[in-house]
Amino acid sequence: MRFLRLIRIYVGASLSTQLAYRANFVAAILGSLANLATGLLGVLLFYSRPEIGDLGGWSLNAALMVVGFFTLTEGVISIWLRPNLTQLAEGIRTGTLDFLLLKPVDAQFQLSFRNLDVLRLPDLVLGIGLIVYGAAKLGTVTPWNALLGTCLYLSAVAMVYAIWFILNTSAFWLVNVQNIGELFQGVFSAGRYPVQALPTWIRPVLTFVVPVAFVTTIPAQALRGEVGTSLALLSPLVAGVMLALCRLVWVRALGSYTSASS
Amino acid sequence: MNQNPLNRAFFNKLRVIGLTQFAHMTIYRAEIVIWMLSGTLSLIMGLIWMQQADSAPGGKIGGYSARDFASYFVATWATAQLLVTWVGWELSFDIRQGTLSPKLLRPLDPFWTHYVNHLAERLVRLPAMLILMTVFMLATGARFGTDPKLWLAYAALVALGFLFRFFWEYCIGLLAFWFEATDNFQEIVWVMYISLGGLLAPLSLYPVAVQNVARLTPFPYMLGLPCDLITGKAGLSEALRGGLVLLGWTLAFGLLRAWVWRRGVGKYGAVGA
Repeated sequence: MRFLRLIRIYVGASLSTQLAYRANFVAAILGSLANLATGLLGVLLFYSRPEIGDLGGWSLNAALMVVGFFTLTEGVISIWLRPNLTQLAEGIRTGTLDFLLLKPVDAQFQLSFRNLDVLRLPDLVLGIGLIVYGAAKLGTVTPWNALLGTCLYLSAVAMVYAIWFILNTSAFWLVNVQNIGELFQGVFSAGRYPVQALPTWIRPVLTFVVPVAFVTTIPAQALRGEVGTSLALLSPLVAGVMLALCRLVWVRALGSYTSASS
Repeated sequence: MNQNPLNRAFFNKLRVIGLTQFAHMTIYRAEIVIWMLSGTLSLIMGLIWMQQADSAPGGKIGGYSARDFASYFVATWATAQLLVTWVGWELSFDIRQGTLSPKLLRPLDPFWTHYVNHLAERLVRLPAMLILMTVFMLATGARFGTDPKLWLAYAALVALGFLFRFFWEYCIGLLAFWFEATDNFQEIVWVMYISLGGLLAPLSLYPVAVQNVARLTPFPYMLGLPCDLITGKAGLSEALRGGLVLLGWTLAFGLLRAWVWRRGVGKYGAVGA
């Protein structure tokens, strides 16, 4: 397929530029490990207190799966979303977006896959490793639940993409908002912890306003076997609606785009 | 007036840079607010600790009630806002893109422009920060002490802590003279700063081994200790002791910065010109 071939070319080009910087590669691995250590410390602090038995009904091993999904998603964001989507505001401001629009490939596709920060791949490995470790320690994960968790997580990634994309598309109207994706990151840092550990009043916000719970808590719940069929169907549906919305916003935005020079 | 003309010229330069940097920063006010809203980790940690304290037997964890946690974490949120630094990012950009060259021609070390730039940004940040802080206080019941001596000690520690962080980020930014990108180096130190500084929990709740390591580093004295002062968990003697450790680290990194800068500019001249 054409899109897959293009993605392979993009990955190859990103790899060859970034692996030239070897010191940076070592630093990136250390950075990923340090990030993981903070994530673990943040959770272990709670479980090390004798006053706290479990965090909102989550045992340590189950909570480790949530940290794993969080690390994995941070990896997805820094490998894929941040290096690509933050380019949009710059492209609009300087007019380089026009080069992209002239090419005979869908512009949203190009904008979404051109640069991949492959140096952050260790985040993915560490994230998946932590999920597998937590699941193995828990020892109750069935193949069906693993499949369900994977599907729910993939829908969640689609939601995160849609949110990042819509936020960055606002640059068509607001121009200088290169860091607007960080607004999502601010809310997303709540995803390090099971949503049940937070006060009751904020849980609906993290589920329905910004779907942070869908990204980390709910896939981990699926692995624990606590997710029913209705939610399993709802998650892909929400993801589909958000992707459609993001496409709609993009088309509207392009319609009102007049380029930097004209 | 019998003033040293060199000094007068220097302060005049600083004043002019300050005014232009302030004007420059007011343009970026929307971006500043976006960055402010993205730094929420301490608030989230606060919400979880408050929730756990509420459901713990006796309503306290390690001597902290839910309200104590609220005060501590609103304080760390605000203090972390005051300590924000991006000089390393700018320096490494300037070095890689060659935009450092015109700045070297100016009759003033670029250090001062960057430093004044950060101070000017703090002024732009302050109003939004105070508004948000009031909202958080009303929402969570956070309370702070009123002893002016403790607030002075707070201000001194935060100012020193900012200078320390500024020096360390400056040093890492200057690594761009030798390495192609420095973002990942920044991240390693940043992670140490938030975990050992006390952003995840008050330091006294950490495991003892981690506490002992943290006390040797400067991080708890720039973030956790100032917050303990204004929430009534620490006194002036602790502030003095922590301040001295922090001062030592700051001087060391100040010297390191000067040394790295001299070495780096020598190398840069050989390559870039």
